[in-house]
Amino acid sequence: MTKQVVKRRVGGFAVSIWSWIKLISKDPAGLLGLIIVTAFILWSIIQGTLELLASYLKDPGLGWLLLPYNPFAQNLAGAFQLPSWVHLMGTDYMGRDLLSEVLYSIPYSAAYPAFLVVLSAILIGAVLGISAGYLGGWWDEVLMRVTDAFLSIPAIILAIAISVLLKASFTGMIYSFIIVWWPIYARLFRAETLRVKAMDYIAAAQLYGVSPLRLFFKYLFINTIDPIIAYAMLDFGNVILAASILNFIGVGLQPGLPILGEMASEGVSWGFPRYWWWALFPSITILIIALGFVLLGDRLQDIIGGRAAY
Amino acid sequence: MAGRDFVVFVIRRFINAVITLLILLLLMFILVHAIYTTPLALARLYAGPHATMAQLETIVKEYHLDAPLYVQFINYLVDVFTGNLGYDPIYKEPEVYIIMQYLPITLTFMIPAVILTVLVGTLLGAVAAANRNKWIDYLIRAFYVFTWSSPPYLIALLVLWVFAYLLGPYTHLPASGYVNPLLPKPKTITGWPLIDAIIEHNWAYVDSYLVHMILPVLSVFLYSFGVYTRMARNVTLDVLESDYVRLAYIKGLSRRVVVYRVGLRNALIPLVTLIVLTFALSWTGAYVTEVVFSYHGMGYITTVAITSVDPLMVYDITLFVGISVIIANFIADILYGILDPRVRIT
Repeated sequence: MTKQVVKRRVGGFAVSIWSWIKLISKDPAGLLGLIIVTAFILWSIIQGTLELLASYLKDPGLGWLLLPYNPFAQNLAGAFQLPSWVHLMGTDYMGRDLLSEVLYSIPYSAAYPAFLVVLSAILIGAVLGISAGYLGGWWDEVLMRVTDAFLSIPAIILAIAISVLLKASFTGMIYSFIIVWWPIYARLFRAETLRVKAMDYIAAAQLYGVSPLRLFFKYLFINTIDPIIAYAMLDFGNVILAASILNFIGVGLQPGLPILGEMASEGVSWGFPRYWWWALFPSITILIIALGFVLLGDRLQDIIGGRAAY
Repeated sequence: MAGRDFVVFVIRRFINAVITLLILLLLMFILVHAIYTTPLALARLYAGPHATMAQLETIVKEYHLDAPLYVQFINYLVDVFTGNLGYDPIYKEPEVYIIMQYLPITLTFMIPAVILTVLVGTLLGAVAAANRNKWIDYLIRAFYVFTWSSPPYLIALLVLWVFAYLLGPYTHLPASGYVNPLLPKPKTITGWPLIDAIIEHNWAYVDSYLVHMILPVLSVFLYSFGVYTRMARNVTLDVLESDYVRLAYIKGLSRRVVVYRVGLRNALIPLVTLIVLTFALSWTGAYVTEVVFSYHGMGYITTVAITSVDPLMVYDITLFVGISVIIANFIADILYGILDPRVRIT
């Protein structure tokens, strides 16, 4: 009996994912976003695992197992090559293949920042925002004032300052993003909690004597998360863009690791229109990834917000 | 219009802005003290990377870095409000003096970009909303989705490539710098080079300055255009679905009059708050654009400060950016109060 129930629930989950995919694909732009995001996530998982394995097994060759060339191999005779069938994106000043570098750097320059920052921001924002909306009073007032102050500075510029204070390393950049990124989520969760709080089932749960932790997760978090998922999908793109801006300016770099924003900035400083492929292809890669998240997030917002005719 | 309640409204908004500024300063203060926990580490922030131990200790004494935190915070507040941000360890000049040289240069090309974004974005947002799900709507949406999701340096690079290199022989637009460096600088009167040159009737300088401004303004405009137009379209859509717009149709007004007189005028009110958001966003665009165009403003000194390991400078620049956004927010609040009298009461 229990087995059947479990089976049905698993089946229900798979079916609901399939129905979501069908729902999203009704809009061609949404379908395009879904394809880009899926490809990006798959590649990040594969390449990220390979890089982790390479560093764990101390066998760097694993890191470029799937890439056309070794992204670190220098070939000074073949420097500054135009894009061709041999090097699809051309080569840089040390003759390294740009396509391999771009593919190698995707987990570091896009996937890690996006997922770490958005997920941490959602967690922090949920705890603070839901507690502010639910408890109200002075805690709400203080928290809203603090988010006001955070939101009064452009997030990226505050993140630059914090990561420079944190010695401008890659982890420093991630920390600085988490510090500046949670206020928006706290705002969103608070607004949603205020809406949900007035509903009858919360009052019923309170009367029933549900423990605060259960109330938080099962009643408030689950019921406020829907619009935030749609926003978070857009926000993955925002974080990727923001990280690339910081890398372009020269913050959050890791020596010995190619990063998309850094490659673009090197291409610019070596002479932009002359070596156009060096600056343009890494930037266009970021454009495509961010575009995928923006299209998918827009479509999700339409579906969840009820604006789309589906 | 300028009644007593309006004065009260302005005063209340002003107090609000000051409180936001105070919390901002407190936040920055806490951040710095959370990262640099000991007085000596703090002294290194003020003294630069190459200071000796003796120098650090004199700085600890001089700046009272070993005092209790609340004393330090009060000292810091007094310093900020008297315009004293200390000496820069690299330039050996007061921070405020350095920043006040670069801030006007960024603002002179940023403010026109924001105005352009607001004008064009509002208009195109209204056009897209009025022609919802027609080809012109799709065209505008496709355009803003692309500019929104492209990194600002890509936009700046493409603008540079197309207008300064490919079309260079026809447009004669410069690719870098903010003015022809061979021209004599105008005397410092207001501190804003463009305004100083206008006051002095130094038209050659003004001409060169404006010509250098075109491409950066275009880049920042294209960068902030996406976010603004998307919201303008949504706001106009909401307005067009409201009752008074239906009433206007029922009255028999033509579609053009309804959309661009009734609808747009009412959509303008919520859009005022978006101007601040655009202003804040443009700061990011301006930073990157300055790097691409070698335009010597705030973004340029930030990158220089990053490479010369000068966190104090980056910190103070951020403070100035925050203050500028708070001031912009204050002005937008007042505008909102003028446009929509209902806001004054709450």
